[in-house]
Amino acid sequence: MAEPIRIDFRHRQSAHCESGVAANLLNHQGIELSEAMAFGIGAGLFFGYFPFIRINHLPLVTYRAAAGGLLKRFSRLPGFNLSRQTFSSAGQAMAELDSRLAQSIPVGLQTGVFWLPYFPKALRFHFNAHNLVVYGKEGDNYLISDPVFPEPVLCPAEDLARARFASGTLAPKGKMYHFSRADRDFDRRLAIIEGIDSVCSMMLKGIFPLIGVRGIRFLAGRLCRWPERLGAEKAALHLGHVVRMQEEIGTGGGGFRFIYAAFLQESGILLGDQSLRTCASTLQAAGDRWREFAAMAARICKSRPKADDTYAAAADHIRQCAVMETQAFNSLRDWVRGAS
Amino acid sequence: MQTDPPDTADSITDGLQTVSYAQNSLGQLEQVKGQGWQPVNDVNRQAWREIEKQIEQARGRVVSGRASCLYYYMIANQMSIMLLARYSGQSSLRVRLHLIPFFFRRLTAGQLQRYADLFQISSKDLKKGALLPAVYSSAQKHG
Repeated sequence: MAEPIRIDFRHRQSAHCESGVAANLLNHQGIELSEAMAFGIGAGLFFGYFPFIRINHLPLVTYRAAAGGLLKRFSRLPGFNLSRQTFSSAGQAMAELDSRLAQSIPVGLQTGVFWLPYFPKALRFHFNAHNLVVYGKEGDNYLISDPVFPEPVLCPAEDLARARFASGTLAPKGKMYHFSRADRDFDRRLAIIEGIDSVCSMMLKGIFPLIGVRGIRFLAGRLCRWPERLGAEKAALHLGHVVRMQEEIGTGGGGFRFIYAAFLQESGILLGDQSLRTCASTLQAAGDRWREFAAMAARICKSRPKADDTYAAAADHIRQCAVMETQAFNSLRDWVRGAS
Repeated sequence: MQTDPPDTADSITDGLQTVSYAQNSLGQLEQVKGQGWQPVNDVNRQAWREIEKQIEQARGRVVSGRASCLYYYMIANQMSIMLLARYSGQSSLRVRLHLIPFFFRRLTAGQLQRYADLFQISSKDLKKGALLPAVYSSAQKHG
């Protein structure tokens, strides 16, 4: 049997897998970066409602940027290089992983959670864009730093190979990556400004009415008509799906709004800028409102609504979120204009 | 943001501590560990009830002979015909045929093995039509 490999890698638990992996990998390269900072610089925040794309017969709602987008943004920053590879065969993909580990390089992988045995049963859906870091191998088990878990976990090689070659939407095709270059003295200020700028334009300037704050309003408009269009049972399933995309593991709460607000706060301190902190509190308030929506929606789904829990009231909460987010991103855009 | 007291027995993460962001006494958002938020557990459970309902329906169709046991395994593993076709590397038309008992009984040993590997059961069980739990059910043991 091959020698066990255990790279000295610091596992830090995080809320979101992609920002967690980015932050942990960069930390390993000597760049101290919090998860929230990675999320913000990587422009992870988004909103999109795409009723014509179905997940288990339910419309796609997303509160975050497309899977892989965050890492891609990092790779485009000056001073950074992300080496990425996909494979056509599992054997080759695992061999390549082993050779990276032998060179003491912790490797990021895109995987399908359905096949990961260490995941809690309740979260094992066919979701193929889960990121994790492999940093060791003991016998036939890989040592994994899965950012949403409190401690590192072990995963048998066979299961990991399955997860790396999950099929369907966002199929990872064995994708693996690591930062081949990461500049310790990169321009944080510029990276923050560009990250915020990108999120602002996605949230405010989309020409497509299904994304950004217009998408939030669009969802509100559709959501209040679900009971009559779909019937009570199907409407509840749709509603529950929205809440799951917003609050389930990996979101940090409030549909990623809290983690983004944490990024804005941290940036405000780093750049000594009070206006960023004001934007952070507006966005945090929006996150709170998203949570109120989620709590109400969950009561409706559970058929235990309070007196004024209705789809119309839930839609109203969402509209208020849209108002608050418009305000937050407008002032952020002004800040970007002033700063650059 | 106040969070409802989490109900451990009810947690969807099997008691696993996950991270979310909440405001501390200084008004700063920071990472906090917790057992998740009750509304999330509620809607997750709702999604699983729906899946279980589909699995029961599938079981009924197999028992009554209207579908092959492959249909049960497909539904139990939350797959569609399209996804099963991708995983087994064949056209969805072929998969569709294999869901019919008449064609399923005529599968070669190799084809059976391929499906059995995918669903992590033995091809013997698959051939005799045993309706075993889905892939993820074993996770609880070492979860």
